Amino acid sequence: MVSVLDWGGFIAANFDRLLLATRQHLSIALTAVVLGTSVAVPLGIYLTRREGLARIVLAVTGIIQTIPSLAFFGLTIPFLGLGVLPATLVLFLYSILPILRNTYTGIKEVDPALIEAGKGMGMDSVELLLMVELPIALPLILAGVRISTMYIVSWTTVAAMIGAGGLGTLVLGGIAVYDARLIVLGVVPAATLALLAGRVIIWLEKRLTPRGLLRDGQVA
Amino acid sequence: MLRFEQVTKIYSGQRVVDCLDLEVKKGEFLVLIGPSGCGKTTTLKMINRLIEPSEGKIYMNGTDISRLDPVQLRRQIGYVIQQVGLFPNMTIQQNVDVVLRLLKRPLQERQERVRELLAMVGMDPALYAERYPNELSGGQQQRIGVLRALAADPPLILMDEPFGALDPITRESLQDEFKRLQEKLHKTIVFVTHDMDEALKLADRIVLMKDGRIVQAGPPEELLRHPANDFVAFFFGKKRKENEIYLETVDEVMNPAPVTIRPEQGVAEGVELMRRRHVDSLFVVDKEERFLGQVTIESLNREHLRAHQIIELLDTNVPTVLAGSKAETAFRIMTEQRLKYVPVVDTEGRLVGLVTRTSMVNALASVVWGDGISA
Ligand SMILES: Nc1ncnc2c1ncn2[C@@H]1O[C@H](COP(=O)(O)OP(=O)(O)O)[C@@H](O)[C@H]1O
Ligand SMILES: [Mg+2]
Repeated sequence: MVSVLDWGGFIAANFDRLLLATRQHLSIALTAVVLGTSVAVPLGIYLTRREGLARIVLAVTGIIQTIPSLAFFGLTIPFLGLGVLPATLVLFLYSILPILRNTYTGIKEVDPALIEAGKGMGMDSVELLLMVELPIALPLILAGVRISTMYIVSWTTVAAMIGAGGLGTLVLGGIAVYDARLIVLGVVPAATLALLAGRVIIWLEKRLTPRGLLRDGQVA
Repeated sequence: MLRFEQVTKIYSGQRVVDCLDLEVKKGEFLVLIGPSGCGKTTTLKMINRLIEPSEGKIYMNGTDISRLDPVQLRRQIGYVIQQVGLFPNMTIQQNVDVVLRLLKRPLQERQERVRELLAMVGMDPALYAERYPNELSGGQQQRIGVLRALAADPPLILMDEPFGALDPITRESLQDEFKRLQEKLHKTIVFVTHDMDEALKLADRIVLMKDGRIVQAGPPEELLRHPANDFVAFFFGKKRKENEIYLETVDEVMNPAPVTIRPEQGVAEGVELMRRRHVDSLFVVDKEERFLGQVTIESLNREHLRAHQIIELLDTNVPTVLAGSKAETAFRIMTEQRLKYVPVVDTEGRLVGLVTRTSMVNALASVVWGDGISA
């Protein structure tokens, strides 16, 4: 058994390492998700206007999603080498699908009567998108961002394998020196970060969803 | 105002609108009516170019509308659809002023206009402007749907079965309200319906369509008195069978939304409900909507000091009729037992409506009036 006192001392001894790893972790995950969102949302909107292409793109991104992240990280080494760049790139690719799919579905599922009303009132396609389609799809798009963020924050742990840094380095270090405490020091903050990120986005969803779209105080 | 010239719409080889020639005069209330699938909606949507004709031309004030920008065209035409289509992400203010926003009108003008419009249909702007559509009843939502079409004061308004999804009572009050509105506003209106009563009530001129063609067009009176053929006669006469007294079932004449209360509710609540809804009796139903009996204003007056809950005043000795039975049955019970109303229950015992003296009078009036038609 490891006593509480031991933990206190252990964390204090490794505090700088923990802080650095957390900062790297967040910066990689955040970069991936922000890039992912800024690609996935416009692409999702574009795909709602291109049925045929949509089917292909969603299938391809679906396949990317099924490649185990570890294998994917490994596959990029010959092309991009080790470090932050290939890790961020892979995570960025991973983050696209949930957001893309939710943006596409969110807009596609807008009640056709609303589209007809909007067009009938004299909205052009940009006005229709900004005034009707996007606001109504927003809760679903944000749910996609939330799912992506939570996945990416936990997968960033794996990115340490290709030398990206982050909380995964503590886990790898722990495995290397047979120190369970070091593994816990990496895993617990990583899980906490994922949950926290989820909460932040749920809060955002609540803030950004117009009252008229809320059902019983719930976000769709 | 509006002229169709040999307008045809073809969907996969089928002429759903076939060589339509039609003129709509300024200020006219034109009703397109006909069986489902006869091309009413298609005809309507070709006017605001949500659908483009395959052949032929439509002119608005002499201009061929295919030469206009569709977005600009639509901003000059009001549009109301059956599904209402209020934007759930916008407040009532934002829904009603949406065209004004598209036209980049200043906020103050928009707010004033919305206040004016809401007041016109008896909805307090202070109460409703900042609400969202899901906080309104079906009837209120469609009122807003109509106001939205009126907001930019377009000379022409298109309406596709706007009151079709509402319950009969609400539908009728919106029809009356809209008719009053139209008498003030003198818009040109093209109104689609498949409800003959609605057409007869609202139209200056009725255009009866079948299979994409016009069968007969004229004022309501003319179609009733001089039907061009058997189809017209049948269409306008189909609710009235020859030599038989009218409306078949109680379902057709009943008020589908009687004022109800639950047995465990308080007596004071009951009094308040009666006052608010202007009724002198309440129908008591349980959680499953099963009919238990009634409470009357007399018993409330007499017993309100003694009783606490509605159940203590419950009168279970109330004659009812089964949904689907003949309207005559209900009328006979009412006349024989000198009742003001008869509740209608379904086979599960649930309260589904109320036949009142008013429904009786209306039904009888339509028989008398219906007889006049075949003369
Ligand atoms: N987009 C479409 N593609 C193919 N057929 C259509 C389309 N829209 C309508 N139709 C057909 O055209 C006919 C007329 O439709 P519509 O104008 O909606 O009838 P109504 O409004 O009188 O009920 C119907 O038979 C319908 O099935
Ligand atoms: Mg229709």
